[in-house]
Amino acid sequence: MTQQILNAIFIGSIYALFAVGYTLVFGVLDVLNLAHSAVFMLGAVITYSLVALHGFPFILAALVAVIACGFLGLLVEYVALRPLRRRGAPPISALISTIGLALIFVAIVEQATPGTLFSWLWQDGANSVRFPSGAVPNPTYHVAGLTLEGTKIGILVTSVVLMLVLGYVIKYTQVGRALRAVAENRRAATLLGINVDRIFSSTLFVSSALGGLAGLLFGLALSDISPYIGRDQVELKGLAVIVLGGMGSIPGAVLGGYLLGLIEVLAFVRFGSNVEAGVAFAALFLVLVIRPQGLFGARLRERL
Amino acid sequence: MDFFIQLFTDPVTFYNSHELLLAQIGINAILAISLFVTFYSGQLTLANAGFMAVGAYTTVILNLYTPLPLPLDILAGTALAGAVGFLVGLPVLRLRGIFLAIATIGFVEALRLGVILNVPITGEGQGLKNPSADPLGGILPIIVSLPIIAYIVWRLTKTKLGHAWAAIREDELAASSNGINVPVYKMIAFVIGALLAGYAGALETHINFFVDPTEYSVTRAIQILTFAVAGGTTNVIGPIVGALFLTSLPEIIRQASAYRDVVNGVILILVIIFRPQGIVGGGGFALIRPRWWPASWRRRGRAASAH
Amino acid sequence: MGTKLRGLAVAWVLVLAACGSGTSGGTGSSGSYQGKTINLGAILSLTGAGGVYGPSSKKGADLAVEIINNSGGVSGAKLALDTEDDASDKAQSAQVAQRLIQQGQLLALLGPTLSNSAVAVHPLAESFKIPIVAVSTTGIHIVPDCNFPKTDPCKYVFRDSLGEEAAIPANIKVYSQKTHPKTGVLLVANDDKFSSDGGKIVQATVGQYGIQLLDTVQFSKTTADFATPVTQAVKKNPDVIFITSLGGIPAKIMIEARKQGFAGQFLGGNGFNTAVVSKQAGADGKGAQSGSGWYINNTFPSNAAFVKAYKDKYGSDPDQFAAQGYTGVLILADAAKRANLTFSNLAGDRTKLRDALESVNIDTPLGRFQFTSSHDVKQTIWIIQMDGAGGFNLVISVSPS
Repeated sequence: MTQQILNAIFIGSIYALFAVGYTLVFGVLDVLNLAHSAVFMLGAVITYSLVALHGFPFILAALVAVIACGFLGLLVEYVALRPLRRRGAPPISALISTIGLALIFVAIVEQATPGTLFSWLWQDGANSVRFPSGAVPNPTYHVAGLTLEGTKIGILVTSVVLMLVLGYVIKYTQVGRALRAVAENRRAATLLGINVDRIFSSTLFVSSALGGLAGLLFGLALSDISPYIGRDQVELKGLAVIVLGGMGSIPGAVLGGYLLGLIEVLAFVRFGSNVEAGVAFAALFLVLVIRPQGLFGARLRERL
Repeated sequence: MDFFIQLFTDPVTFYNSHELLLAQIGINAILAISLFVTFYSGQLTLANAGFMAVGAYTTVILNLYTPLPLPLDILAGTALAGAVGFLVGLPVLRLRGIFLAIATIGFVEALRLGVILNVPITGEGQGLKNPSADPLGGILPIIVSLPIIAYIVWRLTKTKLGHAWAAIREDELAASSNGINVPVYKMIAFVIGALLAGYAGALETHINFFVDPTEYSVTRAIQILTFAVAGGTTNVIGPIVGALFLTSLPEIIRQASAYRDVVNGVILILVIIFRPQGIVGGGGFALIRPRWWPASWRRRGRAASAH
Repeated sequence: MGTKLRGLAVAWVLVLAACGSGTSGGTGSSGSYQGKTINLGAILSLTGAGGVYGPSSKKGADLAVEIINNSGGVSGAKLALDTEDDASDKAQSAQVAQRLIQQGQLLALLGPTLSNSAVAVHPLAESFKIPIVAVSTTGIHIVPDCNFPKTDPCKYVFRDSLGEEAAIPANIKVYSQKTHPKTGVLLVANDDKFSSDGGKIVQATVGQYGIQLLDTVQFSKTTADFATPVTQAVKKNPDVIFITSLGGIPAKIMIEARKQGFAGQFLGGNGFNTAVVSKQAGADGKGAQSGSGWYINNTFPSNAAFVKAYKDKYGSDPDQFAAQGYTGVLILADAAKRANLTFSNLAGDRTKLRDALESVNIDTPLGRFQFTSSHDVKQTIWIIQMDGAGGFNLVISVSPS
């Protein structure tokens, strides 16, 4: 059982890291960025290609990938969000345009095999791969019947530290205050002289960099890198997490991530897989119906 | 291109070799109309895939285990989908906008993963085989149903009911203060949407040899949404055109079929940016011109490379 | 280039020998189809969950087409193979099938890759009366009762892929006679036909060999982190972990189980038998054992030439799926050669081809190939183990019972 709780905490931190970026965009821009899961996938894919195809050391590859994902976030902003916002289009439009981008990102990777246009990025088509053995040391300890993995502990620490930093930045810095002002009231923020577009761009950059980081950590720890890891495995779970935590709330997303990890593992242990698969969505449905502000949310207005 | 050449030069052969595609277009069009009805009343719901599952499974289970004739099975599936729609509508219709959409995503996946995968009569993960499917016979009811449904929905939008929906969509508060019973009208739209989706699901099993939980996921729901939005949601023709266009796209671009999702994605983005009202959403051939776009632009084909 | 051509030359000599040695009434004299084209289609999963298997099948089938065409075709007729991706999606598979059948004017089909899709495609082919040869599906009720639960046999559906109903029990038998395991846990994906069929076969078999199944841990194929199901399995401390699942999942389970300190044996099914899975599992998968329809170093007459031609063309070793895809085309070519095709009456030609398929008897990389009366395979089962580096080692071969 203790092992299962460790499993829950670990998968919870991946969910949380993914969901923090997701919810940040919702909180500030009021749109659901459905390309986030594709950027998550690309975080893993770019890191893998740098390590396995181009011989980068892992840390450098990860750094490059995270920054690249940040720029992909800018791509999302410029192509799929900004033109719509300028026009005052309803949020559902952004839903569709980001789905369009996600389709494109996934298709590019799944069609990449040796000799194709994107073979520098990916060569394994629809297959799932893992980092070459030895690329990342993963000391594994067995203590009192429990399995403790170096990479997973590293990921846990990374996630917690990053989320604390993000929380601090938003709460106590100039940028954070501007961010909150924009989230609260776009027009008022403009009047205060805040460059709203720049805030939006930086939000997308940070959110996508976090999403990419979550993806590469996922690929590292679970030995699973494929074009579908975002779409099939975390996208909807991430949605459940940000609903549980209250849409747009960063601490909520963090707590929600760990909570979902825990609920899933407990449901699996107690009732088996069939119930586990549905539990996230039953929870999502119930929370929205009974407590739309999320389990930890106060009023919807105060989101960050 | 062959697709169009054959369509215009040899429509009989075209029909004979594309019956399943045409049937699928019909099904998708009915689904898109079911989404249009709720959308018309100002609600963004993605529950249709779930109602479809209810219609499909009910039909096949009745067909396998009871001597009822097929039309009755289909009717029962449709009715049950409507009933489930009513029950789901009770709690979720208080929600608005994106929150309603997300709650209905929860419903679809909880139904699929939580219920269908756990009830033995549904065949669980393997789904059910439907040995009495008739791929060619199944197309007729679809082709007959689609225009009837489209006509009924079009008439509905012109009635007092339709005007109430439009009023709620434009401004819920104002509609309410004008004496429109908002919850009741919303529920009517929601249940009609559920009935149509259930009916489409039931018809679909008659051209397919199976029902399978993976067919009724959020992916399907989002696909339905893209049909409606790409086609346009100002009138009932929009969703039909959207379904027609996006369903036949893989056939049209077969040469590039490996990259069909890229094309699909590009089209969604282009439509939503340059033609937000959808392909046939009114406004003639007008295209939106974003502020950053040079004034002298002519062809929107270049838009893909913008930015 | 030189070696490539030489490889092809060796291969086509053997293919010719194979095609010419059919025992049943072959009347098509060489050249009688001169100038014609025999159009075949394949529905394969090149993307999605089945993307682990489909590309191998495609490479094998393409190779066979190339070799046959370079050696004068089928009695002078060229083979043309139109392969389409079904994205591992059942509904898409059915739509692709209908298009190929009606629009493509094809003589016969190969595929689909996944048993799940076969449920949709095979009844369709049967109702359109077009022969279809499954080249990778291993589930239950594929042949002959493709319209299950209806019981009338399907006449147009064949397969050259070894079913799990034969492969899994053979594998368990071999392993338990050698090491006498006492306990096992089954890890099975419950939302996919191939996987849950395999799970049922394991459950029905283990008792015969005195293995007690301590637990059956089910999971969804969209599970992100396999730590949870694996912990459930490992804590029972079984001698054997059975895995029936497809795509990259078996590899992920092996990796996780080894991390959690499981030192026992992995036994599985057809989902193991591709180089992709063996490569992803790496050292953690070393020794994982399964029953396969093919083994790279088998000594059947036409196998060495196939392996060589494949290596020359693609620069990598073929796997079981490539061998089965290759064989599928050989079978269709042999049947076409003997079917006295008219090339004017498509429906008649399809029926003639179907009849000729029942009497196929040729040398293939899978061995001397004949369909059973239920259109299935009866062949040597190769019990193989992953070698920890993307390949497989042979444990033993089991003759058909």
